[in-house]
Amino acid sequence: MRIEDMRYTKADHLRATGYIFKSMKVTFKNLVRATVNRPCTILYPWEKLVYPDNYRGRPGIVLDKCIACARCVKICPNQCIEMVPIETPELGKVKRPQINVARCMMCGYCAEECPTNAMMVTPEFELAAYNRADMMFDPIKLQHPHKPGYEVNYSFALISEMKGGAAKTYAKNDPEMHDTIVLDGVKCISCQRCAKTCPTGSIEMAETGELNPKTKKPIKWPKFDNAKCVVCEQCVEVCPKDALSIKEVL
Amino acid sequence: MSEEMWINMGPQHPMTHGLWNLRVRVDGETMTAAEPIVGYLHRGWEKMVENRTYPQIIPLADRLCYGSSFTWSHLYCLAAERVFNIEVPERAQYIRTACIEMQRISSHLMWLAAVGTDLGSYTILLYGMRERELFLDLMVELCGARMTYNYVRIGGVRNDTPPDFERNVTRVLDTFEPRIRDLEALCDECETFRMRTIDIGKINAADAMNLGLTGPSMRASGIDLDLRRHDPYEIYDELDFDVCTHTDGDCYARYRVRMDEMRESVKIIRQCLEKMPKGPTRVKVPRCPPKGTAVARVEDPRGESLMYMVSDGTDKPYRLKVRSPNYVNLSASPAMLLGNKISDVPAIMGVLDMCIGETDR
Repeated sequence: MRIEDMRYTKADHLRATGYIFKSMKVTFKNLVRATVNRPCTILYPWEKLVYPDNYRGRPGIVLDKCIACARCVKICPNQCIEMVPIETPELGKVKRPQINVARCMMCGYCAEECPTNAMMVTPEFELAAYNRADMMFDPIKLQHPHKPGYEVNYSFALISEMKGGAAKTYAKNDPEMHDTIVLDGVKCISCQRCAKTCPTGSIEMAETGELNPKTKKPIKWPKFDNAKCVVCEQCVEVCPKDALSIKEVL
Repeated sequence: MSEEMWINMGPQHPMTHGLWNLRVRVDGETMTAAEPIVGYLHRGWEKMVENRTYPQIIPLADRLCYGSSFTWSHLYCLAAERVFNIEVPERAQYIRTACIEMQRISSHLMWLAAVGTDLGSYTILLYGMRERELFLDLMVELCGARMTYNYVRIGGVRNDTPPDFERNVTRVLDTFEPRIRDLEALCDECETFRMRTIDIGKINAADAMNLGLTGPSMRASGIDLDLRRHDPYEIYDELDFDVCTHTDGDCYARYRVRMDEMRESVKIIRQCLEKMPKGPTRVKVPRCPPKGTAVARVEDPRGESLMYMVSDGTDKPYRLKVRSPNYVNLSASPAMLLGNKISDVPAIMGVLDMCIGETDR
């Protein structure tokens, strides 16, 4: 219908159909529809809307998959995630994220960033508690049964390839196509902190072939295994001499 | 005998959709002065985002206005893309445009529901909210949240559409389009509604322009200005749609413009689905943009919203200025209010579609 036809005139309410019959027609039409078919509303505590798996309720975690890379901590806009040490029979002493759900805004960024899809969005939204301590979800409480739909996956293309015309897309955390860590060898003091802190064990201290002139021991520099790396940047942060940096793939 | 009196309507008042205060001076029942006071919901948003990295701001931009959160996060990403100097894949642009229009419809429906309650018609609230649910369900399916979507990303959208998205949207639009007639039958044909809106809160074209009104409120005064057509972003220049205008400039005309816009939005969504190409939906963006500034402005459901971004080359914006359409529309409200009766305040302010979250920021 064109807009011109819809334009009203000041005498509209004097038409034969009148101002009451049309409204009553709508009302009765919907009365019949809601009576014969199901009503438009639901009785909430007893009935619930059916939501798809990707519904963003509170975040949930699968502890076995988590590698403690702390990417969720970095991306969280509310800074409500913290890495805390836990001890379980299966995992031993490890660090896992703890979420202050009272501060969480359910944006789903932690699940989107997670390189192993250990963090996921769950359809759990009834989170009311009697005190604030109950809203602090430690890693054990944060656990949630896994379902493939809860994972947040996406695919991306590269700008450089888009300009070339090729529309190849890469999955999230594609090991072939992610940022790399580069070493500025001049600054490295071979302290091995990066290798110790790496959550995936993708850093290995390799001999460079040179000898330290004072101690006559071989100099070791970190070597990065790109296929294992998840670009968590912990090595970049821990480096005391700022020898490591991120090289972005664009 | 005429002693004038100041009345505070707000901060807690059924007329105020949110926290703000309208002080009116009344002579008997006629308003002789009006003074809107905002600032009760100021959260320091513009300062807060200076401490967040670029992707972290997207969910915060969603929360500027829960009624039309998609337009705000989209506006932020549009400004950021201009700073980053990135071209968005074509498919992402089509998805965005379709989502913006769905957001426009659901925002207008919520506005209609609010106007209905303001004018004492609870029926319209129920009908408006029922129709809105259709679009919220679509958005849940797409991105997992009902209101604060966090779906737009700098350089595209978060994920591709679910497999049967196109079919579902078409089905919803087929259901919704005839139902606009039902909504109109409940409002247009209702003598009470017409009496409370026609010739109430009149503002002529010159005043609307001078006071900086934008959006449906401005188009109701006969000014044909729509940024979707006059400063096209995304793919609006490839789509065929009309800009809805009315010449009366009263509350009823503002109501009509919004109802007509919903029809146009349905048309736009259908065209988007028809033309949507295949391809990637997201490009990888660098962490830090080059130094520079960028401006983006879009046609919000409420008017013209603008973001001005200054980047200093780090991963956080140096400054992000938000121009909220409602802040300006609200400042123009005294011109509409003066001379009307105090019982017309809910009609005039309700039809403006107040949203305090973006007004105070």
